[in-house]
Amino acid sequence: MTSTRSLSYIALFAAVIAVFGLIPKIDMPFGVPITLQSLGIMLVGCLLGPKRAFYTVLLLLVAVALGLPLLAGGRGGLAVFTAPSAGFLLGWLLGATACGWCMRRMAGATGKGLLAAAFLSSIIGGIVVMYAFGILGLMAMAHLTFAQAGLAVLVFIPGDLVKCALCALLVHSVVRGMPSWRLDRD
Amino acid sequence: MRSLYSPRRTWLHAVPAWLKLLALSLAGTALVLIDDVPAMGVVTIVVLALFISLRTAAWQQWKTLRSLLIAASLIAAFHWLTGHAALGIASGLRIMAAAMLALMLTVSTRFDDLLAVLETLLSPLRRFGVPTERIALAIGLMLRFAENFLSQWQRLDDAYRVRTGRSGSWRLLAPLAIRALQSAERVADALAARLGA
Repeated sequence: MTSTRSLSYIALFAAVIAVFGLIPKIDMPFGVPITLQSLGIMLVGCLLGPKRAFYTVLLLLVAVALGLPLLAGGRGGLAVFTAPSAGFLLGWLLGATACGWCMRRMAGATGKGLLAAAFLSSIIGGIVVMYAFGILGLMAMAHLTFAQAGLAVLVFIPGDLVKCALCALLVHSVVRGMPSWRLDRD
Repeated sequence: MRSLYSPRRTWLHAVPAWLKLLALSLAGTALVLIDDVPAMGVVTIVVLALFISLRTAAWQQWKTLRSLLIAASLIAAFHWLTGHAALGIASGLRIMAAAMLALMLTVSTRFDDLLAVLETLLSPLRRFGVPTERIALAIGLMLRFAENFLSQWQRLDDAYRVRTGRSGSWRLLAPLAIRALQSAERVADALAARLGA
């Protein structure tokens, strides 16, 4: 939150993630129901870059901790941080940052390359990093072993891969629809 | 956007926010340190009694509690099946006790009071140039724009429904994202003009 300009992007993207939680679950063409908040996390990483993505998710989590019902299904308050899935919330914070960091490295890509870059960044931030912390959270809170926790979250991976693809398409459309939006800005 | 705070007065509403937060963090630490089932059971019963003493204010959050109850039961059942029943029961009880304590804080403390505690806690960071007073501004902006985007989403969805007879669902994400970015640029310009870059 260093400059006023960043502050407005941060607040606006935190709002986008919150709204993605308010939109009822969406049924994808082949029947995978998904909630959109983790898509918001990937999108923030890809479009805002690592630093501002970090602050965006931090702002959202602070507002949730203070009691605003901004998570999907109207959840909020400190209780969400005591749930077995709380590791995923930390994963959101660092996943969005990792996603932004990867996207920065490939900011020059255009066309199909941009699709691939955004897809790869979403997978790294939105699946690899996010699930790493989610699994660590399950291990700590539910006393599962790594393999048990990994198996428990495996069922969500296909849905999240769809979200990565959707995120790549979105980043692609945004860059096409708003040529003035620069992906390499800090 | 309404906070999960409940305006129904309970005895816990009268306790200052900082004291509740301090009690919650001490209790949370204690919960992590206990791993013996009988002790955990006693703690959970005490917490449940406190939770019930808040009456309707607390039970309004039954939805949150129910989803945690399901998760806690699954964890307990899993450990029971793999032959570590005691570990499972302790983990399940710990999750429920922690959730009830956190919910009690959330329903009995105003958003503004919690924000004030957070700003006080972070105020030492101001010396290092961290603009902590902007947290409130950022949260306010975020809430205002959440409402704005939700109505934009509904407007886009209505327009799509008129054209096709179906809900737009994922097809509207790109236009929504572009609108969000355009609003972000306009607000950034306005803020920069008023507060300085």
